[in-house]
Amino acid sequence: MTEIRTKLDWGAFAPLRLKARSVADGVYAGSHKSPRKGSGVEFGGHRAYVPGDDLRYIDRHALMRHGELLIREFETETDRDLWLFVDASKSMSYAGPGAPGPKYGFAALIAAALAYIAVRTGDRVGLDFLGGKGARPLPPRSGRDAFERIALALEDVEPDGDLSADPKLFEQALGQAQRSARRGAIQVVLTDLLDLPSGSLEALTTLTTRGRMLQVIQVLSPAERDFPFEGAVQLRSLEGKTLVETDAALSRQNYLAALAAAQKRAEQQLLPRGGRLLTCATSDAPEELVRRILSSHVEPSA
Amino acid sequence: MSFVTVLALGLSLLVAAPTLAHLLRRGRAKEQPFPAASLVPVTRSTARERSRLEDRGLLALRALMILCLAMLGAGPLVRCSRVALGRSGGASVALAIVVDDSASMHTRLPNGKTRFQRAIEGAHELLGSAREGDVVALVRAGKPARLALAAGTDLQAAARALDELRPTDRATDLGAAIALGRAALSSLPHKDKRVVLLSDLAGEFPSEPAEGVWAALPELATKTDDCGVLRAEQSGPRVTAVVACSTEAAARARTLKLVGKDPAVKAEARLVVQRGEQTLTLEAKADFTGAVELTGADQNPDDDRAEVAPESRGLSLAVHVDSEGEAVATGGAPLLEQALHALPYGAPVRPLPELPREAAELNDVAALFIDDPPGLTPETRGAIDGWLEGGAVAALFLGTRAHDTQLGASLEPFLRGAVDWEPLPKDSSIDVGSFDWLGAEAESLKDIAPKGRARLDSALLPGAEVVGRWSDGKVLITRQERGRGLLFSVGLPVSVEVSDLPLRPAFLALLDHMVGEALRRRGPRASEAGTEWWFPATGTLQVTGNGGPLVLREAEGQRVALPETIGRYTITLNGKSEARFITLPADEVLSMPKQELPNAWRATKTSAAPQVDASPELGWLLLGLLALELGARFWRLVRERRAQGAIQPTSP
Repeated sequence: MTEIRTKLDWGAFAPLRLKARSVADGVYAGSHKSPRKGSGVEFGGHRAYVPGDDLRYIDRHALMRHGELLIREFETETDRDLWLFVDASKSMSYAGPGAPGPKYGFAALIAAALAYIAVRTGDRVGLDFLGGKGARPLPPRSGRDAFERIALALEDVEPDGDLSADPKLFEQALGQAQRSARRGAIQVVLTDLLDLPSGSLEALTTLTTRGRMLQVIQVLSPAERDFPFEGAVQLRSLEGKTLVETDAALSRQNYLAALAAAQKRAEQQLLPRGGRLLTCATSDAPEELVRRILSSHVEPSA
Repeated sequence: MSFVTVLALGLSLLVAAPTLAHLLRRGRAKEQPFPAASLVPVTRSTARERSRLEDRGLLALRALMILCLAMLGAGPLVRCSRVALGRSGGASVALAIVVDDSASMHTRLPNGKTRFQRAIEGAHELLGSAREGDVVALVRAGKPARLALAAGTDLQAAARALDELRPTDRATDLGAAIALGRAALSSLPHKDKRVVLLSDLAGEFPSEPAEGVWAALPELATKTDDCGVLRAEQSGPRVTAVVACSTEAAARARTLKLVGKDPAVKAEARLVVQRGEQTLTLEAKADFTGAVELTGADQNPDDDRAEVAPESRGLSLAVHVDSEGEAVATGGAPLLEQALHALPYGAPVRPLPELPREAAELNDVAALFIDDPPGLTPETRGAIDGWLEGGAVAALFLGTRAHDTQLGASLEPFLRGAVDWEPLPKDSSIDVGSFDWLGAEAESLKDIAPKGRARLDSALLPGAEVVGRWSDGKVLITRQERGRGLLFSVGLPVSVEVSDLPLRPAFLALLDHMVGEALRRRGPRASEAGTEWWFPATGTLQVTGNGGPLVLREAEGQRVALPETIGRYTITLNGKSEARFITLPADEVLSMPKQELPNAWRATKTSAAPQVDASPELGWLLLGLLALELGARFWRLVRERRAQGAIQPTSP
């Protein structure tokens, strides 16, 4: 049904819903600690009193013993929102040689699997797109229907649009999430990090405010990861107007070095803000990737 | 050309195959999507350069190889046009190569080369096909035909001799050249003797060739459109030029114009559109110095210009005799005058009533004959001396007046002082053997019976050569060089009353010898290329033509100059200069090469093949190209390896 709706050839990633459930079932989905400290049952430490704090949480023993106003904090087991941002720009429609399907298909599969896991654990899941034709952002919702809606929205999108030419697309998507995402929300951005407008990485890091977690998953095709071309080739980017004629054998090493350098730069920008970068290729096992995403957010990076 | 040949040559169309392959190969680098293109290093120009330059070289190599293959496939059928020797039974060949170096060989062929250059090339090709044991002689066919290299087996020497041959403006003498070539081979033991003509066959030549004569380059014997200026001479305030055109087409829309130092002198005359000679007159100044030149172009531009020769009155013979006695004896002109008129030279005979007192009186005189003078005055001696320097002959016949020399007179520069006249001793006669140089006519002097003789023995000057004697050993005739001139002293007068010498054929032979010497020494003002100019061995001499000074050779005790090209020559002898002109022979323009060369001229019965199979050369060329291709590929591979090794990943 979904294949009929969109023009995208999903390849090995169709049908999305079944594949996503299959991936999710193969992943351990345990509960996760809330990063928000508040009125829970498990003591979480002291902090200095600031005006406006609930007076019920003032540690009177500490006041009597040390003469200082300290507030007792507790960690709570609570539901947290999961925000999924899927890059649906034109470059995500690329599959390339040796790939089971387009990058968008893989990103959608990962997003759907994460959504399924989140919904099963009672978390709310929201969805937004970077670019894309027919994209419909979904506000965070929980319940079984939420997964269906998210899967449907993912299937309805056709990768399109040039983010490098239209920076507003990027800003609009992130702006919506920044305003509506709750404190402590988990935000997963699935993108290829290619042909993004300048300053886009800085804009992504704004999502890490208010205790929100950010994971950027760079989805590449095997061709983008390995550059398997031979002989003289003429390469045109799907976004922007870059056209390069080169000898593949002579350029391979330089390309791989440039890709690694770009990934390094992205990682260096995300890490100080609490963000994290994971790279994958569409030929990777999706279960393993989902497991890495979950584990990285259960055990935040140092 | 047969169907198979066409098919084989059609393979050459495959020369487009590498081009197509190249284009297809370049087409493979089609544009393809790649989102991460911005991370790919821009090596576009390098890639294009490499594809363009290296592939172009390889493309050319492969195209050449395919062409060679096609030619090789048609090899037994397509042959290159090269002159070569065919052999019957593998025997050695005696070859006389006749190279035509006449003026008509200056004509340009369609490829821009002259006929002479092609003839030399053909001769080299012949030498290239000769092998050890073959004998080669070289003959030049310009008139007169000359042997350039005697028959010999040294092929390298023959090649060097060929390279030294230069084209001339001589007339053609093919008949003599063929005879000379055959004579050069006559004494050789070879059975296969051939005379190869490398000529345009223009001019006189035998209608049917003798056995073993082969005209090897028929492409030289083609019709020519050519006009040439044969000669141009000043005649008062006009210049008269003779122009010859080989065809009407050559004369169409062409004019003859004056080319002089004075730009004010301009004159032109349009050529009449006709084949043959035509005389044109151009208005000029009396002292015009320059040349005439044909406008337009033809196949032989070398003969379109001629220097204008100053006006010439021709040469005459001067005679001084005692008119009283001679007129009585013959009832007409003196005997000496009549004898000179009988000579075949056609030169006017000028009687001198008195002996000249100044050299200028003898300006146009080539030979002076003085009969029985009563001595020569100092003025006459000075005039004769000065006149002789320019190249002339003076003959003194001594008679009864010899011993009546007047006071203050002498017989110098012929003889010292005076001579005696004596009755001829009994039983004395002329020593016929000493007159061998007169030829068969000397026999007529056998029983001559003069009344007396002049005794020259005691009056001989230093350097005088006795060329005729009496039977008793006394001197009858002496010959003495004086500058460029020549003096003869004869001990008998031209008088039938005293001697019967004038009545003998030997007398005419003697006069003929003297006049011939005079013309040779005086030198014609205008002559054809190849005419020898003789000069005395002593004194300073330089002969300068358009190409610089001529090399003089020694012959018979004299110096000889041999002008080979048309134009003006300046002769400077002992400080005095004169101009002579070499003119173009009319036959070299008008004689058309034989349009229909008889088959007998095209090949000899010894099956000389005018063409050779070029397959070996093509095969070697193909192998060379293949090696070059492999080398280029190897070099390319090495370069790529080096380039890959040189690229290092960018450090993060």
